[in-house]
Amino acid sequence: MRAIWAVLVAFPAWAETPVFVDETVSSGLVSVYAGDWQYMVGGGVSAFDCNADLLPDLVLAGGEGEASVWVNRSDAALKFEKAVSGVEMTGVTGAYPMDIDSDGVADLIVLRVGENVVMRGLGDCRFERANEDWGFDGGDAWSTALAATFEPGAVWPTIAVGNYIDRREEAFPWGSCTPNWLHRPGPGGFASPIELTPSFCALSMVFTDWNNSGQVALRVSNDREYYKGGQEQLWHMEGEPRLYTEAEGWARLRIWGMGIATDDLDGDGMPEYYLTSMADNKLQKVVAQEPLVPKFADVAFKRGVTAHRPFIGEDLNPSTGWHAQFGDVDNDGLADLFVAKGNVDRMPDFALQDPNNLLMQQADGTFVEAADKAGVASMRSSRGGQLVDLNRDGLLDLVVVNRREGAQVWRNATVGGHWVGVRLHQAGVNPDAIGARIEMRAGDRRWLRETTVGGGHMSGSLGVQHFGLGVAEGAEVRVVWPDGSVLDWTPLAAGGVWRVEKGAAPVAE
Amino acid sequence: MVRKLLFVLFFTLAPTHAHAGEAGPVMRQWYKLVLELVRHTPTYSPPVASRSFAYLGVTGYEVVVSGKAGLTSLAGQLNGLTPLPKRPRMVYDEAVVMQAAMAASVRVFFGNTGPSGQQAMDRMEAALDAKVAEGVAPDVVQRSREYGQRIAQHILDWSASDGGAVVENMGFPREWVVSPEPGHWKPTSLVAQQQAPLLPGWGENRPFAMPAGSTCDLPAPPAYSEDPASEFMRNAQEVYDVSKSLSPEQKKIARFWSDDPMLSPTPPGHWVSIVLTLIDRDQLDTARTADALMRIGVGVADAFIGCWWAKYEYDYVRPVTVIKKLIDPKWETLLITPPFPEYPSGHSTQSGAAAEVLTGVFGEDFAFDDPTHEDDGIPARHFPSFRAAAEEAAVSRLYGGIHFRPANENGLKQGECIGAYTVALRTLP
Repeated sequence: MRAIWAVLVAFPAWAETPVFVDETVSSGLVSVYAGDWQYMVGGGVSAFDCNADLLPDLVLAGGEGEASVWVNRSDAALKFEKAVSGVEMTGVTGAYPMDIDSDGVADLIVLRVGENVVMRGLGDCRFERANEDWGFDGGDAWSTALAATFEPGAVWPTIAVGNYIDRREEAFPWGSCTPNWLHRPGPGGFASPIELTPSFCALSMVFTDWNNSGQVALRVSNDREYYKGGQEQLWHMEGEPRLYTEAEGWARLRIWGMGIATDDLDGDGMPEYYLTSMADNKLQKVVAQEPLVPKFADVAFKRGVTAHRPFIGEDLNPSTGWHAQFGDVDNDGLADLFVAKGNVDRMPDFALQDPNNLLMQQADGTFVEAADKAGVASMRSSRGGQLVDLNRDGLLDLVVVNRREGAQVWRNATVGGHWVGVRLHQAGVNPDAIGARIEMRAGDRRWLRETTVGGGHMSGSLGVQHFGLGVAEGAEVRVVWPDGSVLDWTPLAAGGVWRVEKGAAPVAE
Repeated sequence: MVRKLLFVLFFTLAPTHAHAGEAGPVMRQWYKLVLELVRHTPTYSPPVASRSFAYLGVTGYEVVVSGKAGLTSLAGQLNGLTPLPKRPRMVYDEAVVMQAAMAASVRVFFGNTGPSGQQAMDRMEAALDAKVAEGVAPDVVQRSREYGQRIAQHILDWSASDGGAVVENMGFPREWVVSPEPGHWKPTSLVAQQQAPLLPGWGENRPFAMPAGSTCDLPAPPAYSEDPASEFMRNAQEVYDVSKSLSPEQKKIARFWSDDPMLSPTPPGHWVSIVLTLIDRDQLDTARTADALMRIGVGVADAFIGCWWAKYEYDYVRPVTVIKKLIDPKWETLLITPPFPEYPSGHSTQSGAAAEVLTGVFGEDFAFDDPTHEDDGIPARHFPSFRAAAEEAAVSRLYGGIHFRPANENGLKQGECIGAYTVALRTLP
């Protein structure tokens, strides 16, 4: 049943300008996403706690170089220490964390140019290959997107892998998109993957309950540069996957799809979707009608998030967008938007000096650029990124992976509003409650967050869900757990992270 | 499947068909890559694509002229084209000359394409360089390459002064004042870049065969009126009514000729694709291959110059603007409305020109199948003549909801007028 929440009073924007401090050098983080043609896409970063110290650690793709795991040693300042992790593989385009075997230790799904690898988390940020133990067929492709969830009743996750062009077709790559794969549970692990065809060179995927039906669908963003006859996709996931059709209301959209960000921006209980591309980016909002159909209006222009060309510098050619992520960086209660930008590879018709965006949501729902004033308008050729609280001070920090240049990390030093963090946990299968819906309310303001694995551009986080609260000194949380059971509205005090255990009262972490 | 066949053509059949001495197959191979580069180079809107097809066609044709007696050069016939470099009286290999000329030209016209296009050009050039040089004396290869490059450079130098060589921001002005008057073009999309219209100065470019962009002017479109009985409103009502009663066949026609930039070889590329199909089907010899590709390129390039001149002369409003304001605020077009003024229809003008040109090359009532979009899952269509295809292309814009009828019908006539200048070029004996 669709919930429509009225937004009676929008919170005022908290700080005029967020403040980020570049701590790349002092943090010790050193990683480059290297390589030529086969690494023009990808370059992800994931953030999750791999050594049980509550601080999110980082995994950065290295492309032609080795992927690397960085243990978070931050206090107030950001500090990282390179780990000997077992993830030191070449050909990695990105990695997503997920507790695949539900043993309470996060595992990794490593996407590669070549064989994909699932890695069992051993604790202390060490991992070991588990393809054989878990029956995971890593295939041999150019993998560039991932989404994962636990389907209803399943004791093992479902992993969708998006694949790009056939890398052997160097002389004529157009039209050579290779099949995406769906790894569903099988005896003792994963069954043989099925092909999610037609496939159109996916660069981002996310499982999402777009219509509040209680059933997730698979949203896929595809790169029109290489497909023929393709478009964006939305898959029904009940039973055998099948595409939503025009007869069901799905409207064809063909973009250079690079990344998907999703959040409920206006508190109406429905997720919006930001799709990165080249030149104009899209912000999609489902068209309100009864019954709901998968028809989305593009409100990017209206809300000021087209981010279609550089906002500083002399280079005014169109931009190229990659990772996108919503997050409330000033804790004013309004989700802001980070977009990583960077030329594909010396394409002079597009900006070669293409600053990343930090678009601050205003009380009226529009967004205003602040990356330059905030200090995060990097001109490096960015790909993946994460807005994540790296030092547990309640402010979302920023880490960005760059192609052929060093990754960067910024500490958020904004004087912002109140905030609260929520870490879901449940006993048994799917301990991180992937697929749960977190609802939050404070005064007249409401938030909805889907817990998911996937999306962005090869980048994601696992762990704490961060909510800015503005002036509110507390909020109430409601959780719809993956099995449909509900934690009814429960108060949480602002200023800390709450561990919300299914069947128990929230506990301050 | 078709994509695979194309790849095979590049690198498997090339030795068979492009052996030393045959220039036509080399030109065809490059054109097949060019159709992909047009699709994947972001500056390549239809007018920009048409320009490159013209210069590449002239380059290829002049290579053939330089090595074959009895053909007439286009120097002095095309605006501003001076006599091409003469060959010293020595031995040349025609395939090597063509390969050098096409490689040099394609690299310039598609220098801004992405990494995959760059890589494809590298592979194509290397593969064909090797194939055409097989069995040819090294000094002949060297001499032939140098001469081919001289031909290419002559054309490139000529192209630099036509007004269309530099395209910034994908062709959209960074500043533009939209007319506040009703009846004039208003932005129709929510794409920020497209709040200004595409290539407003294109009609001022130097044409190829016709004297000027304004040469084939056409009647002014119906005056704006909100009177339901006016011709203007009757045309708007027709677009709306047609959209509400489209048959499956009409939808197919609209999508077949949609030819969206970045998702197809564009409308001029569609006609080049038709020509390539006929060259292969009828196994045209090198001279006819080069002549046909030159003429279709020049014809559609002039058509876009003439059409764009008229578009900005009349600055006419799009149906979606009128219908949403006066008939149905929730109306949606079947096709995406292009971001520039409505009158005349670009596809109609250039299809009218193409039909005129190709009827001149192949003859009246020349039936053919058009498989241009098979790779995209759109089946081939059969046409009894080039004019029938052009008429279908024109009416497809009505079905798509993006043009009023006069833009299509008058656009076809404008194209026929423009195409006649290309038909008049003296080439083969």
